[in-house]
Amino acid sequence: MVRVADQQFYSSLFSDLQHTRGRILGAQEQVSSGLRVRKPSDDPSAFGEVVRHKASLSKTQQAIRNIQFSTARLDVADNALSQAGNLLARAKELAVRARSDTNTAAERAAIAQEVRQIHRQLVGIANTEVNGQTVFAGTRTDVSPFVITVGDTVVYQGNGETQSVEVEPGQLVQVTIPGDQVFAGPNTNVFDGLRDLLAALETNNGSGIAAGIATIDLALTQVSAAHGQIGAFASRLQASHETLLATVEVTQRILSEQGDADLAKAVSDLQRYQVAFEATSEAIGRILNLSLLPFLR
Amino acid sequence: MSGISQLLDIGTGALAAFQRALTVTGHNLANVHTPGFSRQEAVFSERPPVDGNPGQVGTGVRVGSIRRPIDKFLEDQLLASHEQRGRFGAAQTVLSQIQSLFGDAGDYGIGTALNDFFAAVQDVATNPADVTARTVLLSRSGTLAGRFNQASAVLIEQRQAVDRHISQSIAEINDLTSQIAALNARIRDVQLSGQNPNDLLDERGRLVNALGALIDVTSLQNEDGQLTLFTGRGQLLVEQHHSYKLVGLATAGSGVVDVRYDPGGGSLISITSLISGGRLRGLLEARDQTIAPLLTSLDTLASEIVARVNLQHRVGFGLDGSTGVDFFSPTGTAANTMAVAITDPRRIAASSTAAGIPGNNANALLLRALQDTTFAALGTQTFSGYYGSLASNLGAATQTAQRDAAAQDILHDQLEAHRAAVSGVSSDEELVNILKYQRGFEAASRLIVTADELLRTLLDMKR
Repeated sequence: MVRVADQQFYSSLFSDLQHTRGRILGAQEQVSSGLRVRKPSDDPSAFGEVVRHKASLSKTQQAIRNIQFSTARLDVADNALSQAGNLLARAKELAVRARSDTNTAAERAAIAQEVRQIHRQLVGIANTEVNGQTVFAGTRTDVSPFVITVGDTVVYQGNGETQSVEVEPGQLVQVTIPGDQVFAGPNTNVFDGLRDLLAALETNNGSGIAAGIATIDLALTQVSAAHGQIGAFASRLQASHETLLATVEVTQRILSEQGDADLAKAVSDLQRYQVAFEATSEAIGRILNLSLLPFLR
Repeated sequence: MSGISQLLDIGTGALAAFQRALTVTGHNLANVHTPGFSRQEAVFSERPPVDGNPGQVGTGVRVGSIRRPIDKFLEDQLLASHEQRGRFGAAQTVLSQIQSLFGDAGDYGIGTALNDFFAAVQDVATNPADVTARTVLLSRSGTLAGRFNQASAVLIEQRQAVDRHISQSIAEINDLTSQIAALNARIRDVQLSGQNPNDLLDERGRLVNALGALIDVTSLQNEDGQLTLFTGRGQLLVEQHHSYKLVGLATAGSGVVDVRYDPGGGSLISITSLISGGRLRGLLEARDQTIAPLLTSLDTLASEIVARVNLQHRVGFGLDGSTGVDFFSPTGTAANTMAVAITDPRRIAASSTAAGIPGNNANALLLRALQDTTFAALGTQTFSGYYGSLASNLGAATQTAQRDAAAQDILHDQLEAHRAAVSGVSSDEELVNILKYQRGFEAASRLIVTADELLRTLLDMKR
């Protein structure tokens, strides 16, 4: 015969209740926090993974931020270069009109007025700023790179360095072109060309005007090459942007799979444990009445 | 005549025996919820017969002894279980508290601060000339250093709390052993006088279990009922009515408490590494095998971050042209002293050349690349990889402690149930006993009344 001692009886009922209470608490924490892994001991290996995935998520989101910043800057550069192209095309149109020998010196001087305007506008464009930082100064972004000196000569004050941003760990994409490459680059010096054209117009020098037209053609090619380069940078960023967005989605899903509570399961667990708790309480109520004592009267 | 007085004698003897048995039953019922109490049984035996004709005649009943049914094997298992429960319970409590440091699932741990730091470096790389981005980086760096400081402080505070707990446990152990030694003496005296010291034995059993919950104990029962208790590698805790003290001494330098044994000759022996069970073991394990390595690892991580970031930062140029500048305080190479050295955001060296200021971001990009670099000092892991492993290791240790504690609780419950089946009080059983003894008492009373009637009949004959 197994003897059942009173103490054992009460303590086992009590520990059953305690266990059920503990489970209810656990399920309730999952439901209220939405997290399955809240502390390392909930699932040690998953917690380590959560830390690592959070690091990579942070990096990816930061790369997206970098791209957004840089894309804004590239848009400004892109806009500036298309304006520069338009201005050069207009200058060429004026020069072509002025080249005809039927033009008088006065007429050429009048055209020179407009070309000077274009020259000044072009300098302004080359000094474009974003958030107080000049776009075409290399990395000397705190100075206006192009300065007009004596006799319409323009001097470059920036440097030849470029800036890059990281689009993926270790993957750098160049996002600036130093202004000297755009305006004083490999083919020709745009500002010198315009200055010479201006001088030819003002001195009524027909062959000088013809030479100016040739220089402007070269300048147009050079600016549109830079324009193309900027476009290529932007599309690199765009491509990475899409990959990164997909990566963020995947990482978030993995994080959620590893660390988030399965809400349906947590809620049904919670209900199950509550029912168990009520059943145990009910049983205790009944069992406590089981004694010989009431019958000994 | 002698027959009738013998009858009266049997009756009174039985009355006394049943009364005694009822007293034992009452004692059991009264102690139904006393921890460590073992039920007692009145063992009836016949009184010695007297010679007569045609043969020996019985003289009734007496309570021969009051027995305390216990299972020695179970008691030993329970003691061992108390040791394990004390050990796992203590470890579980300490480790669970430390875990709160790793709040990365809720975005407030060191790992999160590291991510934020490198994200801010990246922002400086994207906007090298922007003072706002630099200010944010300084603030994030402060947060990172602060998280390390705080984690270190919490761990050191935990270690001190564990040490206090150890000292307190030592005091409790000394108290228990001196009580057990005193009980030894009383139990021996009672046994020498031929009695069963049941309640004293229960009391001593309870104290030994309480001692076992604190430290590993081996017990030997002597013939005279005294217990000899050993701990560690045969260090005597209690022998007869003598108890031996443990002493907690702060180790020079580190200040952590070392558990010493005082054999009485004045020279103390360190038994820290010999303790194999009980709360002391759990606390020592948590302190020496979890907190201490965790502190070392945090220091390693902090000093590697400081060294690598400084190394890269020194070769760059700040907006003000400064170079060779440390980013973090070079002296702050431990987690608790880590601090940001720069206060002027312009001194953050984002540029790799003096000429490239302010737009050059190459050095900031190299600083950022540290996030993806693995370092030999970190077991060829990245900063956050190393940190993740730390958290995983602590989590695994905590989980093991929790599971061990839960498993031990279940085992302990089973042992307690077995013990209760042998030694526990069942009130139903005792109620039945009351009925039984009451009826016996009534029958004995009836016997006395009958003897009285017989006597009266005899006396009436004389009239």
